[in-house]
Amino acid sequence: MSADATLPPARGRGGFLASRTALAVVIAAYTAYTLGPFLWLATMSVRTTGEISADHYAWPRPFHWEQFRIAWVDSDFATYFWNSTIVVVAAVAAVTLVGAAAAHALARYRFRGNRIIYGILFSSIIFPPQITLISLYQILVDYGLYNSLLGLTLVYVSLQLPLTVYLLEGFFARIPQDLFDAAKMDGYGDIEIFRRIVLPIGMPAIATTLILNFIQLWNEFLFAVVLITDPDKRTLPIGIRAFMGDHFQDIGMIAAGVMISVVPVILAYVFFSEKLIRGMTAGAVK
Amino acid sequence: MAVVQLSRICKRYGSGGPVVVDNVDVTVGDGEFMVLLGPSGCGKSTTLRMIAGLETISSGTLSINGRTMNDVPAKDRDIAMVFQSYALYPHMTVAENLAFGLKRRRTPSAEVERRVREAAAMLGLIPYLDRKPQALSGGQRQRVALGRAMVREPMVFLFDEPLSNLDAALRVNTRNELIKQHHRLASTMIYVTHDQVEAMTMGTRICVMNGGRVAQVGKPLDVYWNPADTFVARFLGAPPMNLFTVPVSGGDRVRTAAIETALTRWSPAVLAPLAAGEVVLGVRAEDLHLSVEAAGAAAAGRIRGRVFAVEPLGAETLLAVETEGGTECTARLPRDTRARVGEVVDLFFRPDAAFLFDPRSTAAVPALSRPGGDPGRAGGVH
Amino acid sequence: MAGSTALETEAAPLERAPAIGRVSDPRRASWLVLVVFLAPALVIYLGLTAYPAFRTIFDSLFTIEGSERSYVGLANYRDLLGDETFWIAVRNTFVWAFVAPILDVATGLLLALALYAGIPFSRFFRVAWFTPVLLSYVVVAILWMWIYNYDWGVVNEGLRAAGLDALTRSWLGDPNTALAALIVTHAWKWAGFNMVVCLAAIHALPSEVLEAAELDNCGWGAKLRYVIVPMLRPTLLNLYVLAFIGKMKVFDLVWIMTGGGPLWATETVSTYVYKRAFNWNTFDLGYPSAIATVWFGVVCAAVIVLNRVFKSRDRLEY
Repeated sequence: MSADATLPPARGRGGFLASRTALAVVIAAYTAYTLGPFLWLATMSVRTTGEISADHYAWPRPFHWEQFRIAWVDSDFATYFWNSTIVVVAAVAAVTLVGAAAAHALARYRFRGNRIIYGILFSSIIFPPQITLISLYQILVDYGLYNSLLGLTLVYVSLQLPLTVYLLEGFFARIPQDLFDAAKMDGYGDIEIFRRIVLPIGMPAIATTLILNFIQLWNEFLFAVVLITDPDKRTLPIGIRAFMGDHFQDIGMIAAGVMISVVPVILAYVFFSEKLIRGMTAGAVK
Repeated sequence: MAVVQLSRICKRYGSGGPVVVDNVDVTVGDGEFMVLLGPSGCGKSTTLRMIAGLETISSGTLSINGRTMNDVPAKDRDIAMVFQSYALYPHMTVAENLAFGLKRRRTPSAEVERRVREAAAMLGLIPYLDRKPQALSGGQRQRVALGRAMVREPMVFLFDEPLSNLDAALRVNTRNELIKQHHRLASTMIYVTHDQVEAMTMGTRICVMNGGRVAQVGKPLDVYWNPADTFVARFLGAPPMNLFTVPVSGGDRVRTAAIETALTRWSPAVLAPLAAGEVVLGVRAEDLHLSVEAAGAAAAGRIRGRVFAVEPLGAETLLAVETEGGTECTARLPRDTRARVGEVVDLFFRPDAAFLFDPRSTAAVPALSRPGGDPGRAGGVH
Repeated sequence: MAGSTALETEAAPLERAPAIGRVSDPRRASWLVLVVFLAPALVIYLGLTAYPAFRTIFDSLFTIEGSERSYVGLANYRDLLGDETFWIAVRNTFVWAFVAPILDVATGLLLALALYAGIPFSRFFRVAWFTPVLLSYVVVAILWMWIYNYDWGVVNEGLRAAGLDALTRSWLGDPNTALAALIVTHAWKWAGFNMVVCLAAIHALPSEVLEAAELDNCGWGAKLRYVIVPMLRPTLLNLYVLAFIGKMKVFDLVWIMTGGGPLWATETVSTYVYKRAFNWNTFDLGYPSAIATVWFGVVCAAVIVLNRVFKSRDRLEY
C-alpha cells in the first residue's frame, strides 16, 4: 500500500512487478552461476568416471560413496590431506603467536623505530611472490630444508606474518591503555600482561586471523609446487594437480579428491563465517 | 596510613619539550581527602599518574611517609588507583577482577577470598560476583573499580575522574558512597576532577591547578571565600564570579557609569599604590540583588546594565546583563524575578561582598576582613 | 641541565637518568622486553622475506646454473628488453590488472546493493555468492577447465542447446578467447569478496545520512547515485587497488588452466618467471631473478601511484 503511494505515477503496478521479476531472475541466474559449478562438482564426486562419461550432467544414481574411500586410500589423498594439515596447523599456530607478540609490542609500546618496523612488515603485503620465491628455493636447498614439510611451514609463517601483524595490531591498539596501567600497578610484568590481558581480550581478533590464515594456507599452491617435489610430501593443492596430471580422464576421482580438499574450508566457513568475513574486510573498508 | 609529599615536582616531555607540570609543591596529610581540581590540560592527571608511578618524574621529589618514591616501580608503591574508564578486565568476572591485584602479590588464597567477600559486601556487589563487567551497569562497574582498589588495602588511594562516566543522579549517589568509604577506611586519598561540585563536597582540602602550576591549596570553603587569584575565583562557583576592570577613584571607591561601590575591606595603605591605575573588582552572582532591601541595609554597591538573557531555572533565575563598558555579568536571583530582555536594571550588592584583584598579576589584593557573604565570618550583619 | 632556571638547578640532583625512569612508564618497555616480543617476527621477516628479496635482486646480476654463478652485470636486464615473451606477459598482466578489477568491484557492489535492498533469503544468497572465494585456485581451475571443455563443458553444451553451434570453440585452446576465459574465471572467484567488503562498508555508512536522503525524497536510484556510491568511493577505490595487486601476482589459475598458452596468449609475468626458473631447458636462476626484480619495482611503483592518485582526491568527511 505505502509502496504504491510512493511510486511515481507513470510507472504503476505493472512496471513495479516487471522490475521485481527482472531482479529475481538476475539474482537466481547469478546464484546458479556461483553455486552451480560447485554442485556439479559435488554430484560428480559420487559418480564413477564411467557414469560421468555417459552423461556429465546426470544426477548420481546410485551415490557411489566409495569414491571417497578410493580417493582417500588408493589415490593417496590421505597422505596429501595429512601433509596439508600438519603444515597448515603448525604454520598457523606459529604465525599467530609470533605475529601477536610483535603486534602487541607495536601497538602498545613507544620506542624509536616503532612505525618503521610496522611499515616494513606491512608493506611486504604487496610484494609479488616471485621476488622471494627463487631465492627461497636456493636458501632452502642450502639449508637442507628443500622438499621438507618443515621448510614449507617456515615459508608459510613468513608469508602470513604481515597480514597477521596488520590485523592484530589494529585490534590490540584499541585495547584501552588504562587496563595496562591498572595491571602494571597490580604488579604484573610485560610478558604476563601479554599472556593474561592481551591474549584473552584479543581472542576475537586472534580467532579471525587464525581462520583467515588457515584458509589462505590450505589453498596455497605456488610455494608448495616449487618447494616440494617428493610425492609423499605433497600438500592437497599440489597433490590434486599432480593426480590430475597423471589421470587426466579420471574425472570422478579428481572430483572426489577436490571435495576432500574443499570440505575443511567449507566447515571452517560454516562455523566461523562472521569472523572470517570480518578478517577479510578489515583492511578494505575505509 | 600515609603522608604523600610532592616537592617541586615537574614533568616535561623530552628535553626542552613542553612543561606540563611545573614545580608542584603539595603535602597530603594522613587520612586526608585531597582533590586536585582544574580544567582539562592543567596537569592534574599527569600529577596523579606521577604519584601512581605511571609517569616518570622529570624533576622534584615524591615521597610517601618520608621515603623517596621517584624510582620505585608502580607496583611497589602500595598505591591503588581507580581509573576514569574503570579499567575492568573484560574477560574476567567481578570476583576475578577484584582478586587479580592480590593474586600477583602472593596473598594466601583464603585471605584473597576474605577480602574480596568483604569488599563485595561493603559495595553491594555480592550478587554480581560471577558476572562479567559488560553485564553490569555503569554504577556497578564503578563500584567494582572501587572494590578492586579497596581489596588491596593500600596506603594511598588515587582517583582519576572516577565519576565522569556516570549520569547525573548516579554521580550524586556515588559521591556520597565515596565520602562514606573515606570515613570508614580513613585512608589517604587523592582525587582528580574538573568538577567543582565534587571538589567542594568531597575534599577535606582542594588543590586548584592551572597551566601545570598550583594556583591555591586549602579547605574548600576557604578557597571559595578567599580565592588567591582571578582564575580560582572564576573556577569555583557557578555561575563564575563577575569581574570588572575599573579605575579606583578617590582612593577608596569605584565610580564609573556602570558600577560604583565603596572599597570597605581594604586598608588605605593597600589601596594607595593601586589608586593610580585600574583594579579588577569581583562580585559573586549570588551577592547581586535587584533591590537595595534585598541586598541588605549596608548595600551600597551598584551595577547598571542592559538585560540580554533571562534564564529561569525553577529554584532560581539567572539574569545576564551587559554593562555600558561591554562587560557581561550574571546575577543569581530569586525564582519570582521578572525582567525583560532589553530592560536596563540596577543590581545591588554589599560593598563587603566585593573582591579585589591586581590586574597585572591577577592575584587577590589582601583584605582586612573576610567577605560579607561568608557565613563563617565574625560579627556578621543579617 | 643547560637552560634550567635557578630553581630547577637546585633540584637537578634529583633528576633521574632516563634508563631508570623508563621502568615506571607503561607505554615504554625495556629493550629486553621489546626484543622478546619483536625478535621472532623480525628474524622470520629478515630471514625469509627481506634476505631472499635482496638476494633475488643481487642474483639478477649473475648467471646461475646449479652451484656455478658468473657475474654478468646488467646483461640479464638488457636481454629482458629484447625478450618478446616477456613483453607479451607484461601486456597480458596489465590488461588483466587494469580491466578485471572493474569487473570484480562492479559485480561486488551490485551484489552488495541487492543484499542491502533487503531481498528475501539474503543470508542464503550471501553465503552462496561468497562460496567461490573460499575455494583454492586449484579447485577453481579444475572446475572451470571442465566448464570450458570443448566436448562436454557447460558453455559449449549450452551453446549447442541454444542452436549456436557456430560459436562453440575450445575456449582455453583458442588464443583469441583464452585470456578472456581466465579473466572471467578469476572474477567468478573474487566477486564475492568484493561483495562482503561493499556490504560491510554500506552498513558502516552513518544512518543519519541515509535517513536524511530519505527525507529529501530520494528514490532508490537517486539515493544510490548521489549518496551511497559517492560515500563508498574510498572503499571502492581501495578494493580496486587490492584487486589490482592480486592480478599483478596472478599465477596459480593460469599455470593450472593454460600454462601460459596457447602461443603465450595467457602468459603472465608470474608464470613466465616460474617457467624460466624451474621449467626451462636452461637452468639459469639469474635471468628470472631479473624479471622478478623488475616486476617487484613495477608493482610497488604502481601501488604507490594508484594510492597517490586516489588519495589526493578522496578526503571525504561525514
